[in-house]
Amino acid sequence: MFDSPVPAVEVADLTQRFGSAVAVDRLSLSVPPGMFYGVVGPNGAGKTTTLMAVCGLREPTSGTIRIAGHDLRTAREAALAQLGVMMDGLSLPERLTGAEVLRYSAGLRGLDDGWQARAGDLLEILGLDAVPRTLIVEYSTGMRKKINLALAMLHRPRVLVLDEPFEAIDPVSAHSIEQVLKQYVDGGGTVLLSSHIMDFVERNCRRVAVVAGGRVLVEGPTEEVAAGSTLNERFIELVGADPVRPLEWLR
Amino acid sequence: MTGALFALKLRLLRNGPHNERAFGLVTGLVLAALVVAGSAPAARGVIHEGWVAVALTVWGGMWVFGPLAQPRHDPSVISREWLRGYPLRPGRLARALSWTELLGVGPLITLACLASLVVLAAPGGPAAAAIAALAAAAQLYLLIWAGKTVAALAAWLLQTRAGMTLAALQTAIMLALSFAGWVPIAAWLLPRLGEGDTALVIPTFGHLPAPVIDALTALPTGWGYGVAVAVRDGAGFGEVAAPLAGLLAWGVLLQAGWIALTARALRRPPRRAVPRRPAVPGRPLPLPGTSPQVAAVVSRELATWLRDPARGVELRSAWLTPLLMAAVIALTDWSWALPLVGPAAAVFGAMVAINTYALDGTALWQLLTTPGALRADVRGRMAAWALLFGVPSVALAAVLWAVTGSPLGGAALGGAVTAAAAGCAAAPLLALVMPAVGADARDRVHPGQQAGDPTGGQMTIFPVVLAAAAVPGVAGALAGGPGWVAAAVLLAGALLYATPVLSVRLLHRRGPGLLDAMASRDAAVLRPAALKAER
Repeated sequence: MFDSPVPAVEVADLTQRFGSAVAVDRLSLSVPPGMFYGVVGPNGAGKTTTLMAVCGLREPTSGTIRIAGHDLRTAREAALAQLGVMMDGLSLPERLTGAEVLRYSAGLRGLDDGWQARAGDLLEILGLDAVPRTLIVEYSTGMRKKINLALAMLHRPRVLVLDEPFEAIDPVSAHSIEQVLKQYVDGGGTVLLSSHIMDFVERNCRRVAVVAGGRVLVEGPTEEVAAGSTLNERFIELVGADPVRPLEWLR
Repeated sequence: MTGALFALKLRLLRNGPHNERAFGLVTGLVLAALVVAGSAPAARGVIHEGWVAVALTVWGGMWVFGPLAQPRHDPSVISREWLRGYPLRPGRLARALSWTELLGVGPLITLACLASLVVLAAPGGPAAAAIAALAAAAQLYLLIWAGKTVAALAAWLLQTRAGMTLAALQTAIMLALSFAGWVPIAAWLLPRLGEGDTALVIPTFGHLPAPVIDALTALPTGWGYGVAVAVRDGAGFGEVAAPLAGLLAWGVLLQAGWIALTARALRRPPRRAVPRRPAVPGRPLPLPGTSPQVAAVVSRELATWLRDPARGVELRSAWLTPLLMAAVIALTDWSWALPLVGPAAAVFGAMVAINTYALDGTALWQLLTTPGALRADVRGRMAAWALLFGVPSVALAAVLWAVTGSPLGGAALGGAVTAAAAGCAAAPLLALVMPAVGADARDRVHPGQQAGDPTGGQMTIFPVVLAAAAVPGVAGALAGGPGWVAAAVLLAGALLYATPVLSVRLLHRRGPGLLDAMASRDAAVLRPAALKAER
C-alpha cells in the first residue's frame, strides 16, 4: 500500500512529566513502515502516555515525534493526516449509530466518495452492520473496539496507533480485529499498538519494545526479545515480578 | 453501620471539592443572617412579623422546589453505586444512609435561618424560646425530608424517557416563573406602561394582609413559625402542640418515603432509558454554503441535541421556557412586552448550550487527531445552535411583533438578532473556557446522571447575551428611526466574525488539557495545562 524509507513513527527522547512524576523518561522508538510493532509493559509503564503523545493528544515535556517524516510539533496537520487512532476508554460521538459515526468521520476528514464502500466493508467484516439502529452509547466493549478500528481505518492512514485494542473483549471480536489488522499490514500499513496480550503480540508483531518506568528496557525483533522463552516469560523476567508469599487465610 | 457511613461522609466532605460547598455555605449564612436580623425588629413590632413567615416560606420553597429546578443535579455525597455490592438489606442500608443526609451545608444554613424562630419567640420568655428552638429543629427535620424525597422522586422519574420531558417541563416552569413571574405584579403596579404612562399604582406595604399570613402559617413551611408566635403570645397547648406534632409526623413519613425510594434504588441497578433512535440511519444534511466538514459537525450536533439525555432536557426546556413566558405575559395587560420573549429565547438557548464540550466528554480526542477538525467543529456547533435556537428566537420575536403591533417590536427583533449572534458565538467559547466536567458521554444513559453543573457558565453568558440584546433598543432610542437595524447588523456581524477565531485558537491551545480534564473528571487539571500553554 505504501512504500517509503522514512520511519513510519519516530520518537526521540520523549519525556512526559506530570508535576514531579516522570511518566515517560527519554524514550526513543523507531517504527519502520509496513511493520506490526508492539509496545508491552506493566500498568503505569508509560505506554498509553507515549501513544497519546504520538497521536498529538498530549504535548510532551520534551522530545520529538515524527509521523512519516512530519514533525508533530511543527507540521501537526500533515503528521495527523498519516494517522489512524484507536484509544482505549475514550468516548465517541455517542448518540450516533455506527454508520452515522463513519459518515461523520468521512465528512470531517473531507473524504471522497470511496469512503462509502470502505465503510460498508468495515461494518460488514466487523459484524456491526447487524445493528444499524443501535447507538454507540449502547455498544458493548467489543463493538466499541470494532467501531473504533473502523474509524481509525476509514481514511486509509499510513499508520495505525492502537491503545490496548484487545483489552476486555471476547475471543470472537479479537479474532475479527486481528484479521483486519493482518490484512492492513500485509497491504503495507504500519501498526503501532500497546497490549497486555502477550500471545497476540508474539504471534503478530515483528518487533516489540518492552517498556517499564517510562523507559525502553529492550527493543528488537520479537524472537530476539523473547530470547528462546515465550514473550510472557521474558517479559516477567525483564520487568520483574515480586514473589507472592502464601496467604494462610486462603488455606 | 450509621457511624461508618457518617465517618465516610465526613471524610468525603473534608476531601472536597470545596468551591461549590463553600460558596453555598457563605451565601446561605449571609441570607440566614438577614432573616435572623429581620426577625429581631419583627419581634419588637418595628416591622410586621408576617415578613418572617414570608422569608421562611421562600426558604422552605427552595428545599422543595430546588430539586425540581435542577432535576439533573444529584446532591448525594455517598454514591448509591458504592453500596450496591454489600451483602446488606437495602432497607437497612437506606435507613442508615438517611441519617447521614442530615449532614451537609443545606441543613446547616437552614438551621441558622430557623434561629429566627427563637428570636421571634424570645419576648415570651425563656420557656417560649426553648419551645421555639424545638420547633426550629422539627421544621428543619421536615424541610430536609421534603427536599430529599422530592429529589429522590425526581431522580427516579429521570430514569425514563418520559422523565426527560417532565424534567424539561419542570425546569421550564421554574425558569418562566423566575423570569416572567414578576410581570403580573409589574403590570398591576404599572398598568399603562405600554402607552408610555409611568404612573405607579402604589399598594400599601408594611402590614401584610392577615389572610396571607394565615395561609403561609397553614402551609407546612409555616408550622414552625406558627409555634413560635403561639408560644410567644401564650397560646393554649393545642395551638403549640398540633403544628409541632405535624412537623414531626410529616418528617417521619417523608423520611420513610425517602428510605423506601433509596432502598428501591439500591435493590436494582439504574435503568437504561431507551434513547431516541433514528428511524433509518441518518442521511447527510444538505447545508448550503457550508463545507462538508462543517456539515458533518452540524449533522452530529443536531442528532446529539435530540438524542443525548442531558442535552435533550436542556433543548426542551429552552424551547418551552419562552412559550411559557409568553403565556404568563399574555395573561396580563402588558401584551406590548410579548416580542421581548424573542431575545429571551436566545438567552435561554445560550444558557443551555454552555457546556457542550464537557457533555461530549472524551470524544474530543477525535477532533484533536483529525486535521482541520477543530475549526469545523466550532463552526458546526455554531451553525447547529443557530438552527435550533437562533432562528427560532428571531422568528418568535418577528411573529409576536406582527401579532401585537408592539412599539417595542423593532427593538425586540433587533435584540433577538444580536442575542442570537451573541449566544451562537459565545456558547462554544464559554464551553471551552468554563467546562463543567461530569460523567463522560459514554457513561451517561439517562438525564439523572451527574453531567456537570454549568451554573457558573450560565451565570456568565446570561448578562453577556442580555447586554447584546439591549444594544439595538438603546441604539434605536439614541439614534432614533431605524438605528436598531444598523446596531443589530453591526454587532451581530462583529460577534460572528471575531469570536469563532478566538474559540478555535483556544481549542488548539487547551484541547489536550480539556481532554485530560474530562478523562479524569477533574476540571482542575486545566489550570496547569493552561498555564503551561501560556508559557
